[in-house]
Order: sequence, then C-alpha cells, then structure tokens
Amino acid sequence: MDLNEFIANFADQFEDTDSSEITAATEFKNLDEWSSLIALSVIAMVDEEYDVTLKGDDIRGSVTVMDLYNIVKSRS
Amino acid sequence: MAFLKVDNVSIRGIAACVPSSIEENRDLPFYASPEEAEQVISATGIERRHICPDGTTTSDLCFKAAEELINKLGWEKDSIDLLAYCTQDPDYLNHPTSFVVHDRLGLPNTCMCIDFYHGCPGWVNSLSSVSSMISASGLRRAVLMVGDMCSHDAGKANREERPLFGDSGTATALEYDDNAKPILFNIITKSADGMALARKNGGWRAPFTLDTLKADIDRREGLVPAAETTDKMDVFAFAITTVPKTLKQLCANFYIDLESIDKLVLHQANAMMLKTIAKRLKIEMDIVPLSLKEYGNTTGASVPLTIVSECADEYQNAPQKTLACGFGTGLACAGVYFETSHIVCPHILEY
Repeated sequence: MDLNEFIANFADQFEDTDSSEITAATEFKNLDEWSSLIALSVIAMVDEEYDVTLKGDDIRGSVTVMDLYNIVKSRS
Repeated sequence: MAFLKVDNVSIRGIAACVPSSIEENRDLPFYASPEEAEQVISATGIERRHICPDGTTTSDLCFKAAEELINKLGWEKDSIDLLAYCTQDPDYLNHPTSFVVHDRLGLPNTCMCIDFYHGCPGWVNSLSSVSSMISASGLRRAVLMVGDMCSHDAGKANREERPLFGDSGTATALEYDDNAKPILFNIITKSADGMALARKNGGWRAPFTLDTLKADIDRREGLVPAAETTDKMDVFAFAITTVPKTLKQLCANFYIDLESIDKLVLHQANAMMLKTIAKRLKIEMDIVPLSLKEYGNTTGASVPLTIVSECADEYQNAPQKTLACGFGTGLACAGVYFETSHIVCPHILEY
C-alpha cells in the first residue's frame, strides 16, 4: 500500500482544499473544510479503494493523515 | 448467499397512510436559535414529520391503507389468502398485529395471518418472505402491511433522534401471476454490529424494574436528558459502504443493468447518506425519490411510503423498473429489484 497514493485519495475527498496542503503530517480535523460529510467520503473511499471498513472510533482516534494510513494498512 | 429469485408473483398495488398531525422540526423546543434548526434540517433533509396522536397506532394507519388498496383493486375479501404485518411497534405485546387488522378488515377465516419483526429493512425483508410463499405454495393473493411509529420512542428531549422519526403505515398487494417477471433479492446480515441500535429495557433479557420503567417513561417524555447510545458514524459507515455493495451484488448476480432502472428507492434515513449512496452507484438523484422532507425517517415503511408519496402517478400510469433497499436495524441490508406495470397506487392517505 502506497502512502502517496493514499494521501492523494484522501485529498480527493475535499473540494475547496488544495491537495498540496495535505501531507502525511496534516492534522486533518483542523482543515477548514473538514466536516462529517468529508469523514463519510473518506470512509467510502477507504472501503472502495482498500476494502477496509473504518469505524467512527478510527476517525475520532486519528489526528494526522498518517494515523489513518496506518490503520488502513494494518487491516488491508 | 441470500440471493432470492421469486417467480410468478406480481406486485399489484401499494398504498400508504400517515397520521394527520404534524410536528415541525423548526418548532422543536430544544434549538437555541432558528439557525441551529436550519442547520439540522439541511443536514438531515427532514423538515417535518407526521406523528400518531396518543391512542392511534400503526395498525390504524395500515388498516386504512389496506382497505383503500383492496377497494381500489376490486378484490373480494374472500379472495385474500394471506395477511402479513411487519412492525417493531405492535399494538399488543402478545398478540400479532395482523390479527387486529384481519378482524377490522372483515377478512374471512380462510385467510391466514403472519407477523414479522423487522426494523428499517422491514418492507424488503418481509416482501421476500411473502412473495416466496405465494410463489411456492399455491396461495394466490396476499396483502403485506408494514408500519412503524418510532417517533414515540425517540424521547422528546433527544436532540439527535426526535427530529428524525415519522410514523406511517403501508399496504402492498401481491398476486400469483404466471407471466410475472421475477422479483430479485439480496439480503445481507451484519449482526455483530447490530446491538448499537437495540432498545434493551422491557424485553425479557432486561425486564423492566420499577426504576428502569420510570426512567424509560421519563426519557420518552423528555423529563431527563437523552443518553446518546447510537454511534452515528458507524451506522453511516455501514450504510454508505454496505448498501452500494449489496445492490451491486444483486445486479451482478441477476444480470440487472443498473442503467436500465427507472427508480432507485432507498430507505429514507437521511438526505446526505442517500446522496452518498447514489453517487457511489453512479446514479443521478433525479431517479432517487425523497420523502423524508415531509415524513422523516419512517423506518420499515419508508420504501413503499416513498413510492406512494413521491411517485404514485408514475407507478399508476407507466411500467417501472425499481431497485430498492432497506437498511439499518440488525444490522441488515435488504436489496430488491422488481418490475411493475400500471399498479394501483392511490395518493397518500391521512388518518
């Protein structure tokens, strides 16, 4: 599983946020555009691209994009 | 795999009834400002809901829907072989509600009664049973009623649930038909994640004590703050991942062309969720009817209610290829594909 590809897929879920703003270290909940709708899009994307089902606790427990990547990687 | 192909059964008609009393989400007492109410409305898509007044139950609504449907179809009462009822909110704890309506409709003693207990996937799930019975058994005609009144358990002070749930009752008429196109189902169960939606007190696993009964009544009346038990994110995640998968599997298994369907009728959980599901199926929202603005989340009855409230004329006047899905309680996800031709579909009734 490729980290850069995961970051690109993650960034794709945003409309107004420039993808260059998003890196592995980004604390995604601090992004202006972050919302429950984006959280759902991320869950859907992870399901579709990696066949991993994220739970609410996974999103809540993650701070950076890297944290999410590690969860998905550990289950895929 | 619970793929079902049910031959020789036609859906002849669908009717739906809601209580006439309405609760406006803009008028709920717990919003600090009109802006807060608007925020909730825009996130859920739900502006108002029809609510049973005290003393009215879903069997009143289902009775009215069934009576109208039977009359419009011109079915003789003694031609109905099976009356089925699916609800989570029965009239009595120990008396199947189908018997209540059987008596009230004046059906003959040659008509059998059966109840189903299901939540949000209720209509699709019980339709799979009733249609299979007709297909396999020699029964000719059946009426399936599905209704819930979940608003009454939401808790008047529960900011998360009270704006969501509406009450309704529906009736669907089914008939044996040698020329019918098959009704196709795919039903998925994820029971390990299902307890999140369970209502525990008062069942035999946790019988009421004086204390828990009082706490439950106080919660319902809004006298104590509501405990937020459901992890909404998990239920959302289940819906937006499992529903598209279930429907894609259904279409792949039975060679249904997703582009050929006329209507995608989804359980009316929440507008944002339905848009996400449609997007993942690459289906435009103009063939996804929404009844939740006026009626809220009507749980098991939401699929037939939406067909009646949003598309009655289209179902009456033209053939329709329908893909539908009920999901939630269980957790379960029940998808169905069926074709109809000029069914009886009267405009929504009020009780």
